[in-house]
Amino acid sequence: MKIFSLLGYRHLLSYLIYFSLFLCIPLSHAAAIDDRSDQDRDITVSGFVTFQKMPMQGVSIIAKGSGSSAISDADGRYSLTVRIGEVLVVSFIGFKTIEHPVSGLSSISFELEEAVTALNEVTVNAGYYTVKESQRTGSIAKVSSKDIEKQPVTNFLASIQGRMAGVSVTQESGVAGGGFAIQIRGINSLRRDGNAPLYVIDGVPYSSDPIGSAQTSTVLPNLTSPLTNINPADIESIEILKDADATAIYGSRGANGVVLVTTKKGKAGKTRFSASAASGWGHVTRYMDLMDTQQYLSMRRQAFENDGITEYPADAYDVNGTWDPSRYTDWQKELYGGTSQIRSFQSSVSGGSEHTQFLISGNYHSETTVFPGDFLYRKGDVHFNISHASDDRRFKASLSGSYTSQNNRQPWSDLTPVAITLAPNAPSLYDAAGNLNWENGTFTNPLGALAAGYGTKSGNLVSNMLLSYRLLEGLEFKSSFGFTDLNFTETRTMPSTMYDPAFGVTSASSSLFFNNVQRQSWIVEPQLNYQRAFGRVKTELLLGTTFQNQTGARLVERGFGFASNSLIHNLAAANIHIVYGNEQSVYRYQAFFGRVNLNWEDKYILNATARRDGSSRFGPGRQFATFGAIGAAWVFSKEDGLKDNATFLSFGKLRASYGTTGNDQIGDYQYLDTYSLSGHSYQGMGGLEPTRLFNPNFGWESNTKAEMALETGFLDDRIFLTTAYYTNRSSNQLVGLPLPGTTGFNSLQANLDATVENSGLEMTLRTTNIKGRDFNWTTSFNISFLKNRLVSFPGLESSPYANQYVIGQSVNIRKLFQSTGVDPQTGLYGFTDFNGDGVISAPDDRQVTRDLSPEYFGGLQNSFSYKGLAIDFLFQFVKQQNYSSATVLGFPGAPSNNASEVSHSWQQPGDNAPFQQFSTGLNGDAVVAFYNYLESDRAITDASYIRLKNVAITYELPKKWTGVLGCKLSVQGQNLLLFTKYRGADPEFVSSGFLPPLRVITAGIQLTL
Amino acid sequence: MKKTFKILSAVLIFGTANSCDNFVDVELPNSQLSSPAVFADVATANAAMTEIYSKMRDNGMLSGGPAGMSCGMGLYADELDFYGDSVNDSFFFHNNSLIASNNTVASYWNAAYSQIYGANAVMEGLAASNELPVAVKDVLLGEALFSRALVHFYLVNLYGDIPYVTTTDYQLNSTVQRISTAQAYANIRQDLEHAALLLPQDYSVGTRIRPNRSCARALLARLALYTGAWDEASNHASAVLNNTEYVLEGDLDAVFLKESRSTLWQFGTTAEGRNTDDAQNYIFTAGPPPFVGLNLGLVALFGPDDLRGSHWIGTVTDGTGTWHYANKYKQRENTGSSVEYTVVLRMEEQYLIRAEARAWQGDLIGAKEDLDAIRLRAGLPPTAADSAEEIIAAVQLQRRLEFFTEFGHRFFDLKRTGAIDTVLGLAKAGWNPTDKLFPLPLTELNANPYLQPQNPGY
Repeated sequence: MKIFSLLGYRHLLSYLIYFSLFLCIPLSHAAAIDDRSDQDRDITVSGFVTFQKMPMQGVSIIAKGSGSSAISDADGRYSLTVRIGEVLVVSFIGFKTIEHPVSGLSSISFELEEAVTALNEVTVNAGYYTVKESQRTGSIAKVSSKDIEKQPVTNFLASIQGRMAGVSVTQESGVAGGGFAIQIRGINSLRRDGNAPLYVIDGVPYSSDPIGSAQTSTVLPNLTSPLTNINPADIESIEILKDADATAIYGSRGANGVVLVTTKKGKAGKTRFSASAASGWGHVTRYMDLMDTQQYLSMRRQAFENDGITEYPADAYDVNGTWDPSRYTDWQKELYGGTSQIRSFQSSVSGGSEHTQFLISGNYHSETTVFPGDFLYRKGDVHFNISHASDDRRFKASLSGSYTSQNNRQPWSDLTPVAITLAPNAPSLYDAAGNLNWENGTFTNPLGALAAGYGTKSGNLVSNMLLSYRLLEGLEFKSSFGFTDLNFTETRTMPSTMYDPAFGVTSASSSLFFNNVQRQSWIVEPQLNYQRAFGRVKTELLLGTTFQNQTGARLVERGFGFASNSLIHNLAAANIHIVYGNEQSVYRYQAFFGRVNLNWEDKYILNATARRDGSSRFGPGRQFATFGAIGAAWVFSKEDGLKDNATFLSFGKLRASYGTTGNDQIGDYQYLDTYSLSGHSYQGMGGLEPTRLFNPNFGWESNTKAEMALETGFLDDRIFLTTAYYTNRSSNQLVGLPLPGTTGFNSLQANLDATVENSGLEMTLRTTNIKGRDFNWTTSFNISFLKNRLVSFPGLESSPYANQYVIGQSVNIRKLFQSTGVDPQTGLYGFTDFNGDGVISAPDDRQVTRDLSPEYFGGLQNSFSYKGLAIDFLFQFVKQQNYSSATVLGFPGAPSNNASEVSHSWQQPGDNAPFQQFSTGLNGDAVVAFYNYLESDRAITDASYIRLKNVAITYELPKKWTGVLGCKLSVQGQNLLLFTKYRGADPEFVSSGFLPPLRVITAGIQLTL
Repeated sequence: MKKTFKILSAVLIFGTANSCDNFVDVELPNSQLSSPAVFADVATANAAMTEIYSKMRDNGMLSGGPAGMSCGMGLYADELDFYGDSVNDSFFFHNNSLIASNNTVASYWNAAYSQIYGANAVMEGLAASNELPVAVKDVLLGEALFSRALVHFYLVNLYGDIPYVTTTDYQLNSTVQRISTAQAYANIRQDLEHAALLLPQDYSVGTRIRPNRSCARALLARLALYTGAWDEASNHASAVLNNTEYVLEGDLDAVFLKESRSTLWQFGTTAEGRNTDDAQNYIFTAGPPPFVGLNLGLVALFGPDDLRGSHWIGTVTDGTGTWHYANKYKQRENTGSSVEYTVVLRMEEQYLIRAEARAWQGDLIGAKEDLDAIRLRAGLPPTAADSAEEIIAAVQLQRRLEFFTEFGHRFFDLKRTGAIDTVLGLAKAGWNPTDKLFPLPLTELNANPYLQPQNPGY
């Protein structure tokens, strides 16, 4: 009842009413059951369920009508009491469902048949309801545990890379605990942080707002994300809702798509134990091609020569002889070329009777890093599920929960940027005595950074209870009660030992940065479901309401100065304690939603959804808005003309949808004019600073989505092709309007009368190439083309976006200088002077545009199985452009290593060289030309790639060897091969210069009993 | 059964409809205060004002760390040499090769206007407040005007023509235009004169960390000096120097202590026991310097008798070389209670302003008197300069020796006297005449088309 106390008295009352009603229903209805006239005779039916004459365990047999049910045991035997005339429904995943009327025989056995058309029998989770694949009107992509389990990944977003049409996933960093960027059907919002989808775990929305702090998340390119708390091993399926039909029921939060995570549930049958262990290694996929010592020193010497400096300055240690000119170290191998040791263990117990099922599982995962030093990421997790149904299956209850604990220790900063820029003749890391070598103060030893640490500890609970009661035939009342609790601590320690001891820095200058985040949320969603057939029309109705409350608290502190570095983890030991921020926030959300689904003989299907939303993120009077969508499907293969005659076409469906969704991802309290504590102190008092530029008048962003899709199956669905075309338009853009610094702030929340359109084509092809008794081969292929376009933007020219966007082009463009190559006379990069004023300057001369959105992307998966052996390959591909590695390497000629190709620099007048003359940085024109070059079209290169994303080989030992024990051996690899023309390290990045994704290979064993 | 359903749906609809009017209304978080509440209370109104000083101390032009003007403009002119990494912004400062997308160029600008916003917000909050006593309002208004003028003053001197922002209205501020330097100076002068009327003669707190009337007049004196208004410069400087609160510290090691009697205004630290960012930034104990060292040419100008050379300059020697650092602030580490605060305005400047102004006015005796006050304190004999030109040159030299690594005095002096191209053209290989002005930040030009055109040379 803790949930209710959070609500306050006002709401408590209404909830008490709901809850008491809920408790009363079974009682009042119990009386109704007794009134039922007993016109049919009950008999007990029993028999066996087999497949290819082998007993099948766990098959569900349900009597349509009375709802009485049974599950087959290990011998395939079942038994249940039914009324004569009822129909038994025998179903098992992967097999054709059998419907058999009870005529009076007491013994009925079933031989199952494998479902070739399994796809159409599959149900997908659409959030508030489930729908059969063949009957859905919306666009939903799904990845199930079968594919997730094949991948040695720790972040669930990694497991969907390349597997879903329309879903682009990019890994931000190879450091354990790093995040992923996800985009579902492109960029909708002009706000960079307004494009995250809604995540829902077992019906509980899970906030993906970052939990890290700029003070502490220093090893990652972005602030730490809470999504690492979701354990891929617990996931039964991930469904992504894309179009209006599927997302409108999520209303204001569905604009960027919805990611539904469904965790594993217990299955009835004999108690099943499973234990598995895997161990493996991770390495960097690819190094940059950098200069060796000879190339480097010749660059440096030439730079001084070009600048007219004949005597090397005292601080040019790399060339003036201070450092050994014959020394060479491959710093990339040295600083991030290590091996990450990966281990994981899992065990689970599941089982239950036909009325009560359970699952408990535990996981442990650890990985070390590729950096030198002793760093470790650990993640442990327990997951459970209990489901119960009353004898008459009218009352159902289910409780699921996962608790994840993470502990991550990494160096305070990613060593990659240092590794690629450090002079190749820099001195050795350790001196002869084994201590860090600072080379008499001339060398900033990168390993000094290892003394400084980044650490996180987090505990995360996601739990959900679902209660439902069938009031009448077809009418069900249910409610979900969800609760999440996240407790996260992130620290950065900066001890004095990270610096050269010669600087004389003592522990009195050591620092501890501390970021503590707590986030709790609860959600209550009472719903009514009604199903009934009116003649040939099956009707489904859903009505529901949502109450959600999320509270957040964040405390960011710094301890400065310690008596000893050994006390650095204790804030209480700090001489000076500074509180940077202590924030609390409350987010409240309320909605009513509904769905009507009409289904005419599984042939014509109409689906309408609507939601009215209120959010505390908007000012008074602007909190509510309504969203809705309509979807329709025509299963034309069921038309009489085609049904019997077309042997080639086995399934055909045309579906379309149209509707609106919204976006409220703007942070809390943005409409308020307030002051908050700055964390700075002066004159002994904490300072108060204006929190934001406030605008009380902003409202919802709306997103209109339209989709048309054709789904066709051929040759008994052995070839199944889905083609979808969509157009999404976001208008009334709710943006953090970027403002010039003269306003005192960077941005203001406001609605902008601009429209962004994403349109695209998605194709998914699944073929069963060979289907034999022992050998099977299936192929899945998906490809997504997308086009982003700024449709309209009244007043663009006079807006802060004038130099960022162009109407008719993508919102992910960069406006750039147009390179004219290296001027053979001056030896400097030249650019087109568009405005003809004789000076190359921004923004007027940045007139060339390049689009950094992927042009298309997708994946190709092949699965082979022969008896117990299964082999699975996934290739992932992306066609895109991005910044070249020049942006992370230094100024050519400065004391910073560079790409080996840069050696081909301009030497003397008349040269036609690809790279400009070297300079130490004294040649102002060269500096300006170089930085213009980094913002020119030449700095954008092809960053397309094809990656052998995943290979999984699994061998299940024959039963005759292992007896009752099931034993599976597996080898799995992730990011194994990379094919690309990109000249930097890995072309997959959001911000370049961070540790790229790792290649991971693991070997494992799974035992089941 | 139907009845149950009816009741249920009625309650469902009624219950939710009833609660929807307020469920999504949330109260103010306890970490935030509404603006009217801030200016209804003396303590919170003061906290809004002191936050601006914290921001000046910690961010942007006036901060004492590696990015602040004391270090940055020292590198940009000829006071400091750079020893750090080429990826560091200071590298480009030292080479005079700034570009419009340089982070520090943008952070000076953004931090400055954020501080100006804070000052304008205080002024507007005070105007709307009925609760605060008039005396409190006057002092805070004076401080806000002073702060706004000070920040604009440095902006003009770095970026040339700039927008002068006097409101918090983002609609006006996002399309604001640049005004001429002369107009900006006129606005600064107006704000400072208004502040001088409102600010008290004494310090509200003992440690001189809140500006008073003398601070406004000291800045007015500097403004007059920069614009060649010698009478005015001399008068304002006299007003400060006649205040008996201020005494030249005979001991050079006492000048930068927080109790120094020559200080007009200094930044308090963020916590008791902290000392200055300047000390952490400049002092090193082993060569070569990890970041910056004093320029050898500057060090050589201190004669053997100049006590500032031994008291304000530190030296590190090893077998291979000798390096120097600014040692005005000596406390790198925390101390039981703070020992040093960063001094923003001190009376020595007023002596040299008046010396220069008097020389221009023809009062050579008075000019020499003021110049000698500084020379004598440094252990030097009275000046040998005779003519006005010689005295003015001698004052410039003393300014260079007295104010090195203090808020870019050297750069601004070279600029206002017109000597900059000759001097820096010789001293700095990367110097171009257009380097006298910073580029406007690229982000700023992109975000506000009315700021065009970019300064020449960028």
